[in-house]
Amino acid sequence: MAAAVVGDRDVGLGARAVVEQVRALGLRSIRGTLRQPQVWLPGLLFPMFIAAVNTSAMGKAVEFLPGFDGVDSLLDFLLVASITQSVLFGGLAAGTDTTTDIQTGFFDRLLASPVSRTSILVGRLMGASVTGALQALVFIALYGAFGVRIAAGVPGGLLLVAYAMVLALVIGGFAALLALRTGSAEAVQNMFPLTFIVLFMSSAFFPTESMEGSYRSIASHNPLTWMVDGMRYQVIVGLDWSQAAMSLSWTAGLAVLAIFGANRALRARLRRAT
Amino acid sequence: MSHPIEVEGLVRRFGDIVAVAGVDLVVKRGEIFGFLGPNGAGKTTVVRMLTTLLRPSAGVARVAGHDVVSAAGAVRRSIGVALQDAAIDPLMTGRELVRLQAVLHGIGRSEADRRGDVLLERVGLSAASHRRVGTYSGGMRRRLDLALALVHEPSVLFLDEPTTGLDPTSRMALWEEVRRLNREGTTVFLTTQYLEEADVLAGRIAIIDDGRIVREGDPKVLKAAVGHYRLQVTVAPHQLATARQVLDAFGDPRPSHDTTVAIGLRSGPATVSVALRALEDAGVPVEQVELDAPSLDDVFAEATGRRLEGSAIPDESGRE
Repeated sequence: MAAAVVGDRDVGLGARAVVEQVRALGLRSIRGTLRQPQVWLPGLLFPMFIAAVNTSAMGKAVEFLPGFDGVDSLLDFLLVASITQSVLFGGLAAGTDTTTDIQTGFFDRLLASPVSRTSILVGRLMGASVTGALQALVFIALYGAFGVRIAAGVPGGLLLVAYAMVLALVIGGFAALLALRTGSAEAVQNMFPLTFIVLFMSSAFFPTESMEGSYRSIASHNPLTWMVDGMRYQVIVGLDWSQAAMSLSWTAGLAVLAIFGANRALRARLRRAT
Repeated sequence: MSHPIEVEGLVRRFGDIVAVAGVDLVVKRGEIFGFLGPNGAGKTTVVRMLTTLLRPSAGVARVAGHDVVSAAGAVRRSIGVALQDAAIDPLMTGRELVRLQAVLHGIGRSEADRRGDVLLERVGLSAASHRRVGTYSGGMRRRLDLALALVHEPSVLFLDEPTTGLDPTSRMALWEEVRRLNREGTTVFLTTQYLEEADVLAGRIAIIDDGRIVREGDPKVLKAAVGHYRLQVTVAPHQLATARQVLDAFGDPRPSHDTTVAIGLRSGPATVSVALRALEDAGVPVEQVELDAPSLDDVFAEATGRRLEGSAIPDESGRE
């Protein structure tokens, strides 16, 4: 039979309708996440718990350990780590929710409608990104209540929010890729320990200057270190566009890679299904 | 003008397995077409091909005048689909889902809200429209599923086993809604494994077995073609022989229980009273009378040599 089919581009809708589709699917994704406290609450509480333990147990470390120059409180240092950890945790929902849609048949409902196939993915990731922004705002507000002030002021806060949004695209994109490849929620959940290894082997919780040996070497070459450090600079030192650009460009680069992979996985799934 | 659904030589293979082995079908405008068959016969595979969710391995299918392969987008804009198991996001409210479905079909937000109100009212879900779907009963979910399938006013509606698992009240309500839609001009393609459902709703049916259409046509004509009404009378045991002798004149004997005599009524149900009077004249009091019309199960059995397992609609206790 002819080639073009079920994963086709022939949706026959204008650009405005496609934007509406993405908006509606993104809204669905956000609602779905917010209506499942079991999904977002651990992603807020766990980083807070780690920050509270670290601050209580090692709060004085900022006074003598290398790499904490200019840091007044360990909580200042951990703000970006908490945001990163929370987004890495919460962004997995983009994958698990996609597998739920596949397993329950809701994905088929979407495919049987004249929705642009890309809108399905973009809507899901848009939802993850907005959720990431909300997570960042919660941490900025909460840690602010405990005395954390962003040295770069409002622009620095906006940069943190932007960073969280793009980081959500990274983790959401990779999670969606895995979900579309496997259709298995378990496979997506297995990303969780991997993200934690990447997080703990970076400068998120301690500066690389305070590390030693191969651990320090891995952390120094971990892209997450460059992403976190660039944002932390805004919190600790002040507004610096080159630091922000370094952080955001790495994050955006990974986001492009993740979205490209997820889109390929979507196309492959559509081909397999047909 | 072309028919809403036209299928020629449709084939679908999964590796070495041939799930659909050359199906030809025509569904005419404004009819309810029942697509019957046991589990695994190929019903859902055919529906998935007709709704563009699955590419045919061979053959041609046109829905609403569009080829399901080369004009899949046009097909999707023209059809409403309520798939098996009512795949509905339990975290959303009924109203949110209707609005989402409308937007996916390119309908503006205000128009989507207007249509949503009308549809939710129509399927009796207005009061529950702000509740999350996860709190809905099975019947409510099916009705919402139907509303979602109708939001863009499709010309062809696919219902894939729409009443499976529903209680009798919900099933009757859904049947009534399907009839109403059909009266308003919607062509309905209904798959079911319940013979009664097809018998009650469909103007024409096709029976699929092992990936092939084994019978197609008007259910009444198909049933009439496979046999006669079955008359069964219960009499006193010592009068069984006499009763058999009397009823022989009205039709051929059929298998029956110890205290009953059964025949296939040769001249149709109109002769029941004559047969009963003949028994009375012969001095055989009749304790009980049963008259069974030929069923679609008889049609299936005649076509395939076996009965359609699980084809009876379960009662309220879930028994078939």
